[in-house]
Amino acid sequence: MQSNQTFADLFRARGVSRRDFLKFCSLTSVYLGLSSSMAPALLEAMEKKPRTPVLWIHGLECTCCSESFIRSSHPTIENLLFNMISLDYDDVLSAAAGHQLEAVRKKIMKEYKGKYILAVEGNVSTKDDGVYCMVGGDSFLNILKETAADAAAIIAWGTCASFGCVQNAAPNPSGAAPVSDIIKDKPIVKVPGCPPISEVMTGVIAHFHTFGTLPELDRLGRPKAFYNTRIHDKCYRRAFFDAGMFVTSFDDEATRKGWCLYKMGCKGPTTYNSCSKIQWNGGTSFPIGSGHPCIGCSEPNFWDKGPFYERLASVPFLGSDSNADKIGMVAVGAAAAGAAAHAAVTAVKKVKSDKLGNDKA
Amino acid sequence: MGRIIEEIYVWRLPVRFYHWINALCMVALFATGIYIAAPVLNPALGEAVWHKSMAWWRYLHFAFAFIFIANFLFRLYWALFGGDKYARFGGFRPWSPKWWGKPFREQVESYLFLRSDEPNYVGHNPVAALAHFIFIFCGSTFMIFSGLAMYGENNPAGFSGVWFGWLIPLFGGSYSLHFAHHLFAWIFPVYVIMHLYAVFRHDIVDRTSVTSSIITGYKHKVEEEPV
Repeated sequence: MQSNQTFADLFRARGVSRRDFLKFCSLTSVYLGLSSSMAPALLEAMEKKPRTPVLWIHGLECTCCSESFIRSSHPTIENLLFNMISLDYDDVLSAAAGHQLEAVRKKIMKEYKGKYILAVEGNVSTKDDGVYCMVGGDSFLNILKETAADAAAIIAWGTCASFGCVQNAAPNPSGAAPVSDIIKDKPIVKVPGCPPISEVMTGVIAHFHTFGTLPELDRLGRPKAFYNTRIHDKCYRRAFFDAGMFVTSFDDEATRKGWCLYKMGCKGPTTYNSCSKIQWNGGTSFPIGSGHPCIGCSEPNFWDKGPFYERLASVPFLGSDSNADKIGMVAVGAAAAGAAAHAAVTAVKKVKSDKLGNDKA
Repeated sequence: MGRIIEEIYVWRLPVRFYHWINALCMVALFATGIYIAAPVLNPALGEAVWHKSMAWWRYLHFAFAFIFIANFLFRLYWALFGGDKYARFGGFRPWSPKWWGKPFREQVESYLFLRSDEPNYVGHNPVAALAHFIFIFCGSTFMIFSGLAMYGENNPAGFSGVWFGWLIPLFGGSYSLHFAHHLFAWIFPVYVIMHLYAVFRHDIVDRTSVTSSIITGYKHKVEEEPV
């Protein structure tokens, strides 16, 4: 593949018509939440700019981000998107392996110094110098630092790289840390989700390719275009929530009728993601659409905020498994008992002092 | 019962209004909040489009919340600029070691039955002032800030989202903030129990008609009855 091929060249070489290419550009700009006036900018970038080299490295992870990325269901769009970045290094997808592949990484780092995107899937084991995640004979901790040094920007794929995910759930035995804990001097865009939606992943890359900058980020470093609203806000079951019509067990009538899963522990009201808008697998469905409550997989520390099937998180309290209401009731009980005990002592004292007074008189 | 020898106007009308509006809001907010977390009523029959059960509980929670906030801000104004000597921050200086000195110690000792005499204050005693600072001032502030942060969630670019949304990352995500809001709501029933007990006890022991004072505004001093 030519190293400075544009998307338009690539599309043409693959026999995609100009009409389909324009469709792809408009669709991508819609996904990115751009105004229609920005579509030509995207088009121009796709036609004229050489493809952005991407180094995709894998740390402590399950590869579900890659699985999501490659499983897009619109081949004319997503598979080309997959080709649109010049994915020069990816230890999962590359044909080359071993020293040959590592040589490619070093080459890109040198040739595109300060210009390539570093995509990180998975997080970093920091305990014991990072020995719990070794890649190509070196710790992933070192590889990340080395590869990040000359990157233009970093994309943290998935909840692992963004916030930590399962690996850094308590008690976090390997000292797993998200990318932003290790790399402080590079712009990082967090694309959380376990995995993130493929259109979201490709959209972020398209934005960087078009404008040369990262998309606008929210307070947690996520692209606003995809993570600005909660799943709840755009959920098609929201009408049942507002009406107070809830599923209370997985085999009741309400489940069959597709009512709101709030009481089944749905984390949609506290989860920022595009699942209820873009949906999964080319718009086929999403967890709530399939009758399962959202587990909040794109939220920080979602693994420690369980249980998944209850609204209120369990927290350890006085050596037992508890929740906010139980703790609150214990506190109220303690206050009432304290008041009663205090009243009793007051009464006893009063009786005693009255007696003393009477005796004196 | 002895003769009333002195009548003192302690709680002025704005303070009494604040107190009862605050009490009403606290009860309403706690009840609606608990319901929102665990909607227990049976679902309505028919199509969702005709019903707004959950939406109403939430609406009431938000409506009372805004009354609560306005009332709280008014009380702050009154404490700072009202010129009301029984309702200002003036005497409350927990940062100064002097404040924790004799009057505070004596009041604590009295509550712990370590002294036989009851120190008597026309306004708040130092322990009551501390309790109000922790539960009402700090507690309400936290509930208001966290509540507004969550209220802004469906419009992140709006006023609440911009000014209070920073609490969401501070607490490590929206769910954790909801959890903290839920957990800290329980300080209010705890406070109400302690508050009611303390008021009734003072009324019985000191006979200062403190209970009715929050309706009438007047406290009384009663002549010691000869035994």
